[in-house]
Amino acid sequence: MTVVSCAFKNKRRLPPCRAACPADVNVQGYIALLQQGKFKESVELIRKSMPFPAICGRVCFSPCQDACSRKNIDQPVGIRYLKRLAADIEREQGRIKPDPIPKTHSEKVAIVGAGPAGLSAAYELVKLGYPVTVFERMPEPGGIMRYGIPDYRLQKFVVANEIAYIQDLGVEIKTGVEFGKDVQLDSLRNEGYEAIFIANGAQVSRKLGIPGEDLKGVFHAVEFLRHVSLGKTVDVGEKVAVIGGGNSAIDGACTSLRLGAKEVTILYRRSRNEMPALPHEIEAAKEEGVKFHFLVAPKQIIGEGGRIKLIECLRMELGEPDASGRRRPVPIQGTEHTYEVDTVIAGIGQLSETSCLPSILLDERARAISVDPLTLETKIPSVFAGGDIVTGPASIIEAIGAGKRAAVSIDRYLNGEDLRTGIEEEIEETIWVKDWEKITKKPERYTAPHVDIGRQKVSFEEADELLAKTKEVAMFEARRCLECGSCTECLEREELCEADKAVVDETLCTGCNVCAVVCPIGAIKKNEIGIAQVDEDMCKGCGTCSASCPERAITMRRFTDAQIVTNVIAALGREFA
Amino acid sequence: MMFRPKIIGFICNWSLPTEVDLANTSRIHGYPKIRVVRVMCVGRIDPVIVLETFAKGADGVLVIGCHPPDCHYIEGNLQAERKIEMLKKLISQTGLEPERLRVDWAYASEVERFTKIINDFRNQVTALGQSPLAGEKPDENILAGIMAAKVVAGDSRLRTLVGREKKLVEEGDVYGEKVGQEEFDKVMDESIDVEYVRSRIHLLVKDKPMSVEGLAKHLGLDPKNVLRHIVVLRQRGLLALDRIEGEDPIYIALEVM
Repeated sequence: MTVVSCAFKNKRRLPPCRAACPADVNVQGYIALLQQGKFKESVELIRKSMPFPAICGRVCFSPCQDACSRKNIDQPVGIRYLKRLAADIEREQGRIKPDPIPKTHSEKVAIVGAGPAGLSAAYELVKLGYPVTVFERMPEPGGIMRYGIPDYRLQKFVVANEIAYIQDLGVEIKTGVEFGKDVQLDSLRNEGYEAIFIANGAQVSRKLGIPGEDLKGVFHAVEFLRHVSLGKTVDVGEKVAVIGGGNSAIDGACTSLRLGAKEVTILYRRSRNEMPALPHEIEAAKEEGVKFHFLVAPKQIIGEGGRIKLIECLRMELGEPDASGRRRPVPIQGTEHTYEVDTVIAGIGQLSETSCLPSILLDERARAISVDPLTLETKIPSVFAGGDIVTGPASIIEAIGAGKRAAVSIDRYLNGEDLRTGIEEEIEETIWVKDWEKITKKPERYTAPHVDIGRQKVSFEEADELLAKTKEVAMFEARRCLECGSCTECLEREELCEADKAVVDETLCTGCNVCAVVCPIGAIKKNEIGIAQVDEDMCKGCGTCSASCPERAITMRRFTDAQIVTNVIAALGREFA
Repeated sequence: MMFRPKIIGFICNWSLPTEVDLANTSRIHGYPKIRVVRVMCVGRIDPVIVLETFAKGADGVLVIGCHPPDCHYIEGNLQAERKIEMLKKLISQTGLEPERLRVDWAYASEVERFTKIINDFRNQVTALGQSPLAGEKPDENILAGIMAAKVVAGDSRLRTLVGREKKLVEEGDVYGEKVGQEEFDKVMDESIDVEYVRSRIHLLVKDKPMSVEGLAKHLGLDPKNVLRHIVVLRQRGLLALDRIEGEDPIYIALEVM
């Protein structure tokens, strides 16, 4: 399992799924392991690139799935579900506690904010051997994963388990410590922290800015969800109006239903197509009974006796596209109408709390920290920042990516290396399939026997059986992967590996072209003098050419014919129990 | 003691279930035991290696790859199937039972199917009994046949035919002309026949110079037939006239560079 052995270590010709992932998760690699039923190994492989397989398996917006080549044939591979299943199986069967990583560096690193960005940076840095301390203002670490996403989408124990893994590795997390109050940049420096990574996210809801916003019964989504997560009682009454079309709005709506609301309506000022929430979340909300009113925007909230009673809205129509590329909603005058409501939840976006930060770090509008987008350095040396505090509200996986990049920069900074060298890398998407028609014209794929996995109560034996069946379905799903990258880089085996390469003995090659015909990838072509040439970037090491070459001029670099014969002799000589 | 066949399973990396892999190397019970030799793709299996496996005394060889039309390498499994079909014909020439070789398909998730394939094949091989090439005294004639088959399987004629079969039959040649499967099979069968006999002759005279009559007797063939092959072998520069004994020309093999 050595990394060095892989021939593609530094290669950046990536399959579309991996190229699309902001955190560079080796999607094709873990899918390949799942095809073979290696659930634990696949989780380990995910952990090489990020510490949150179960969390991302639940709530990631999965750009990998959107990029999947399989969509050109039928449906993309269910990457997120596979990741979730692999991580869940590992957790349910008992995660093996990892040993703490020995501290090989003396320079201490402080991280502000135990959200996805901060924890990912801590994870990467602790793996490099740095002593890392994470400061978190809330009583529990996790940030948006702990306090922003409701329980029915992401259970608290899932978050706790994945954070425990990071802590097991040796990351220290100090909760209940507020940056700007309990600790400052200077105080951290005085305590001996040589680099600081600020990732305190975007934890404040954007205000509606309409009359009546201060009335009792008006909530803001992030604060609302945080209250519920903290276990505080929130009375939402019977009729709830949620304003906004993002994930927080949907979460607010579905949470209200769970708090006992009878009628929950989402008011969105654009149409269904412009909604930024995840499509499957919207569908799920609809199924749960959330109503949607499109092209309406609130004008004012009308109260009675200090408590909310009505919300007055305006109809909108879509105008020209704005900076985000979506069509701008334009109010239609004179279309005021009202809804009777007990609660209004405003989920129209999030802002970062920047008042706790030194103003030199902030951009001109004081809404975010300005950094070098490549290295994540701020204007103060030794201080780095990433995640929502830099980008504005984005996604967990982007925050993880930022954390990883910050870790690289901090490591370089502490070693006195140049931060920029080789950072900018070109990523080229590869789809190795030489002939799409070959795949698209194939008759229907061999499909898995149907397994019905309901939520019935089952005995332990049945649960085992159910798990086996679930695994079977997952393995079939994984098999739908087209393996667009030339090597899955699962780094699983030494001798038997896709990093094996065909080598042509040019003195034996007669240029008969059989290898080019049999190569499924099109990695072999004849050169100008008619000798077969292997494109090593393309070759997946299957060895079909070697087994077919009429002159036996092609051998594999590692898994040679002699090696196979040796394995055969060893297998024949083996005594069976 | 009950006869326990030694079966080599050439199994593709993408279809071998973990359970079968474990059963193969440890004392886990309840899963079929087979002497697994992993390959990335069954397309990797060189016919020469299969023949070598039989020569080393395996009672059976089972090749398992992904279910067509799926394959991690698009169609490596189909390439393998063609090779195995050719091999079966070649093996039947040597006197070894071609039923000792089988190719089948399964996915890593289909442990049941795996078990069934392996058990079926095991029963088939058990019924055939120990391989004539296994044990203390391997059958010399069959071994000579397998050695000759190895040369044929390693030589360009059959390998070219197998390698081009799919393209010629399904896509057509450079002029876009397809060869019918029957027509192709005829060419293939004929090539296997003649190349095998030629290889036997070549190996026999390599050991000891022989006459046409002697070769015909040894191989149980019509002398006319043998003479025809000798002509071809001389043209290829594999055989030469050694001497004439009485009226019989005696032939000797030439070393090939």
